[in-house]
Amino acid sequence: MITLHAGESNGALVLWGEASGDDSVRSTSRRRGTKAPYASLHPFAASTGELTEALRKMLLGLKPAASPACHVTAWLPTRGDSPVPSSALIAEPPRSRAKAKLAPWTVAAYRFSTAEAVQLLCASIGKRMLAAGVIVGVDLAYWAEVLRFAGSMMARQQFLPGFTTDADEPRATWDPVFIGMDAERLAGLARRMPAAARALSEPDVAAPPERPSTAVLRQFVATLADYLVRTATSDASPPAACRRKNKLPFDSVHDSWLHALKSIDGVVEGDTADLAQLAAQVREWRRPIAVSVGSPFRLCFRLEEPEDTGRTEKASGDAWYVRYLLQPHDDPSLLIPVDEAWKAGGRKISALKRNGSNVREFLLSSLGQASGICPRITASLENAKPAGYPLDAAKAHQFLTEESIALEQAGYGVMLPAWWTRKGTKVRLAVRANVKSPKMQGGSGLSLETIVQFDWEVALGDRKLTLRELEALARMKAPLVRVRGQWVEMNAAEIQAAIDFWKKKGAEKATFRDIIQMALGTKDAPQGFDFNGVKATGWIGKLLKQLDGQVAFKELAPPKAFSGTLRPYQVRGYSWLSFLRQWGLGACLADDMGLGKTIQTLALTQRDWQTNGKRPVLLVCPTSVVNNWQKEAARFTPGLPVLVHHGAGRKRGAAFEKEAGRHAIVVSSYGLLQRDVKFLREVPWSGIVLDEAQNIKNPETRQARAARSLEADYRIALTGTPVENNVGDLWSIMEFLNPGFLGSQSEFKRNFFVPIQAERDPSAAERLKRVTGPFILRRLKTDRSIISDLPEKLEMKVFCSLTKEQASLYAAVLKETEETLESAEGIQRRGLVLGTLSKLKQVCNHPAQFLGDNSGIAARSGKLSRLTEMLEEVLEVGDRALVFSQFAEMGHILRRHVQETFGREALFLHGGVPKRQRDRMVERFQDEGDGPQIFILSLKAGGTGLNLTSANHVFHFDRWWNPAVENQATDRVFRIGQARNVQVHKFICAGTLEEKIDGMIERKKEVAEKVIGADEGWLTALSNDDLREVLALSKEAVGA
Amino acid sequence: MAYRYHEYFEPSRPREAKGGIKAQSGRGGFGRSWWARRWIEVLEGFDLGARLGRGRSYARRGQVLSIDVEKGAVTARVQGSRARPYRVEIKVSTLGRSDWKKLTTALSGQPIFAAKLLAGQMPDNIEDVFRDAGLSLFPDKGADLETDCSCPDWSNPCKHIAAVYLLLGEEFDRDPFLVFKLRGVERGELVGLVGRQTAARSKAGGYEATLGSFSEQAPSHPPPEPLPADPDEFWGQENAEKEDAYGVARIPTISAALPKRLGSFPFWRGKESFIPALEEIYRKASPVGLDVFLGERQGSE
Repeated sequence: MITLHAGESNGALVLWGEASGDDSVRSTSRRRGTKAPYASLHPFAASTGELTEALRKMLLGLKPAASPACHVTAWLPTRGDSPVPSSALIAEPPRSRAKAKLAPWTVAAYRFSTAEAVQLLCASIGKRMLAAGVIVGVDLAYWAEVLRFAGSMMARQQFLPGFTTDADEPRATWDPVFIGMDAERLAGLARRMPAAARALSEPDVAAPPERPSTAVLRQFVATLADYLVRTATSDASPPAACRRKNKLPFDSVHDSWLHALKSIDGVVEGDTADLAQLAAQVREWRRPIAVSVGSPFRLCFRLEEPEDTGRTEKASGDAWYVRYLLQPHDDPSLLIPVDEAWKAGGRKISALKRNGSNVREFLLSSLGQASGICPRITASLENAKPAGYPLDAAKAHQFLTEESIALEQAGYGVMLPAWWTRKGTKVRLAVRANVKSPKMQGGSGLSLETIVQFDWEVALGDRKLTLRELEALARMKAPLVRVRGQWVEMNAAEIQAAIDFWKKKGAEKATFRDIIQMALGTKDAPQGFDFNGVKATGWIGKLLKQLDGQVAFKELAPPKAFSGTLRPYQVRGYSWLSFLRQWGLGACLADDMGLGKTIQTLALTQRDWQTNGKRPVLLVCPTSVVNNWQKEAARFTPGLPVLVHHGAGRKRGAAFEKEAGRHAIVVSSYGLLQRDVKFLREVPWSGIVLDEAQNIKNPETRQARAARSLEADYRIALTGTPVENNVGDLWSIMEFLNPGFLGSQSEFKRNFFVPIQAERDPSAAERLKRVTGPFILRRLKTDRSIISDLPEKLEMKVFCSLTKEQASLYAAVLKETEETLESAEGIQRRGLVLGTLSKLKQVCNHPAQFLGDNSGIAARSGKLSRLTEMLEEVLEVGDRALVFSQFAEMGHILRRHVQETFGREALFLHGGVPKRQRDRMVERFQDEGDGPQIFILSLKAGGTGLNLTSANHVFHFDRWWNPAVENQATDRVFRIGQARNVQVHKFICAGTLEEKIDGMIERKKEVAEKVIGADEGWLTALSNDDLREVLALSKEAVGA
Repeated sequence: MAYRYHEYFEPSRPREAKGGIKAQSGRGGFGRSWWARRWIEVLEGFDLGARLGRGRSYARRGQVLSIDVEKGAVTARVQGSRARPYRVEIKVSTLGRSDWKKLTTALSGQPIFAAKLLAGQMPDNIEDVFRDAGLSLFPDKGADLETDCSCPDWSNPCKHIAAVYLLLGEEFDRDPFLVFKLRGVERGELVGLVGRQTAARSKAGGYEATLGSFSEQAPSHPPPEPLPADPDEFWGQENAEKEDAYGVARIPTISAALPKRLGSFPFWRGKESFIPALEEIYRKASPVGLDVFLGERQGSE
């Protein structure tokens, strides 16, 4: 595992890393390095090879060969004779209790070009991990944030062309301009810079760097901005060198400069006199900005509306006012009307006298500059003490729509009334559809494609407008009108169109699908009007209200043939699924892990089977849970025939179609979904269910495309991760569920993704919620209504598959036992049986544990894959989990895997941990707010005595064939102080001894503790035949 | 010599000049601001006839290769029909120190003068202030203006002088202080004089005059920041994203607002027009910035 660090050094980003000491072979060889001139070799810094490998794993296509590997000095906190690691993921902190001091360490590094740095930082935005085992260090994460800041400034065009002669060759530059809020943001970012981000120096420097963070940051943002603008515009402008060769002289130094601004290298050609003149001219040109950049204040403009008279009016005369205010950068909450600044001895004025700057000069020059944008300001300057200016409604509208935007872009503060949004007044003329429900024909025959009639209404806010009212508005001829206390923006053309609408009485027709989309606000209204929802009566009205959650839908009794018991919230979930299913609308059930998404889905499947002509449902899930679905279906819907479409022996083509037609549920995996889509598409599915639907969050993947291409009466997506929080992932899942509801992918990006992610537009977020809300049901185990339905302890068996490798190892162990079992007797037989049990359990856990060969971890164990998926959900929602295994070796593997996969620290307690350290682990797990979320324990070391109530999940990765021992371990979280419901997940490899023994224990539960005793010895008492049966590997073990 | 002879008598066809200063004004004429127009009126007062029109076309075609403005004097090179560019000199008589004292006292009487000047604009009734002091801001053509050109044309002002004069007028739009410079006082000096007096008048309010104290660079050199040795402080905590860490990344509806706020470039000599050229760059850069902000720019190509 490697933590990547990035520091600024000589204007470039330098990448280095810390490598964890997991690989003992490697670390010793590294310790013996040659002595560097000043700094000794960092004991656990990543080698050049490890850095290269990490970059390769990220698949960025970075060719580190292009930027030479080098060594730099990292000045790091050091205790004793070892640097303190950046996190416990890398190494235990040095034992020395001494106060840390700063010491130089030589580390291998890559000096990145700006292009490479941008690529790396872009990939690091918002990430904790870049690839398995490649962790983003705090400093690298910081620089990624800096890149975002540079990107934001660039999007907002806060940069200016410049010219510098400081470099080797005179260069044209693009300089970020930090005015207004950007100056504050820059200062804020500088304050948050981790020291590690500026702790590198060249190898021959003998003193630690002390360059202030502000300077480091300012320079790097400038470097990024310069590079980014250049790449955006370098339309193949040849760099100076090749121009020289081809003799392309410029007519003037200005041509050369403009060309250089667009070229990659930025070199400006010209004779000394020309260049000196250019420098002077650029300075001269940019001079007015200088005043804004250097000042500690910002000038703000606030538009103030006329007092409300309570009538519909356009507010005659100059009733509006633009007020000038001063806002100090270091206290933006302070807004001082400029009258105060003019007044001698104004009360607040002391707050403005800082940095020895002159408020009046600042004000005068700012107002003077702003007057170029907003001519009314010029007039106000005739006054000896300008404080603002009055304006009429038309001018106020112009200020809102034009001048305020220009002022804001020029770096001034602008405060507009709350009723104004970027798209105009909140209340606008809008149309809504008035729908009359057709007669229900016995409840059937209605679908999304049913044609319904409606007519248009013109409305303002919630209220319908009469023709007379519209005509009255038209007569006002003002762009802003106050109607019943609310300002409304309107223009003559709009009002005329509304009148035409009003007069057009002919009824319109649309499908029910269209009506729903109108109601959700995802359809464009005719003639650019706003849609103001749908007004509907009758059953359509009721249905729309049900979708909206305003009216509860009918709760259904679970289907008769369903053999489980649904908890009350599960009945609601099942009824909700049925409600949407009835209309052919897709549903995303996103309940927390453990709340029973499976059982609710199966209840629906059972009902559907009975009512929809016995057609099959395709259930797609990760390979690791294929078995689980099969088991759960057998348990809850024993009457439904299940076909597992998996493995090499699966049916294909027409044979499959026929086979599928005979089953109620066809379980398959995402991998096969894309591989077999050609004939999967031929089956007339009743429904498609995607389990762990985040698997299709990327719409470009083949599995997502395949999922979208299947036809069915209804679609369900199941996921335990909060999809609604991740705007980017939502489109693909929604497009699968309800095609077209969120528009095309590019429309979605434009209408929702960019406004929400980049512009933080709350109305876009609200709209998205309104559109998706009806189709997503997410209950948390902490919800009040859920808690009361849940038992304190929720025990679940998690059936996993074996990988092919596991299955063949399992078979090999069996074969070996088989050969010796017959001849063995007494104590020898007992030893053989216990040994075999242990070996098989190890195989079920992980091949690497069984082989003990320190080999790779990923994708070799069904249990581990499932555990990883479940832990991801645990981490995502901020829960804490205990993971028990009876094998210490497995504990090591688990810890390494969890840390490498999630980049988060996992604690591991085993028999060899001294008491003091153990207490510290417990303390950290229990009390630290942002402490480790996952605690791995060996059953023997952690099974008793500890109090671990901050966990609310317990995983038994392998089984101790004694319920009492398991329960004791589980009880770690049930100590006094446990306030939450606890979920216990028992992992079982289906079709192996684990499932058989589990079954035996279940059957004998009542007598189990007496019969079975405290250890696993009871198994040795089984006859050879019984034993063979217990150990045998059934076909379903590998999920086929 | 026939060639030269021919050239001499077709003086309206000068040699093609490359990289000269090109007038940015459209057909409407030179000088948008009243003070630029006032300057040009002085030229027009000379009654140049056809030479004025040729001067205009020289200015538009970039025949003027360079213009240097000093206190009271302008020197320029103009590409005419000869290989060697002509040298043009325009001398404006400067006002004396005592004159300026008198003027600044009058100017600092109203904040509007300081505001306008600080913002790069000429206060509307500034000429009244000059007149009241018995002076004139713009040169009187007879008394204050002296022009010279190295061309063979005997008339003065010739079309070369006219071209330089027009381009100067255009430059006044951008920077009214050039008018003052020609009259003998630099921008800094004038702002200092007016500002100091304005500030002195409001001393009652306790303001200190530090005109010109703002500079484009970071206000001061921040002190060195030693690295902390404490591990927690050094490695820092994971930064919870601050609410407004980056600002709203929105592509503006109007491109290149900052350059537009600054206006045209001093004596622009580029082939492309300056602001439109920048506008295109800004338009292209914005979406790239947005992609970077959203982390969607993976490849460098």
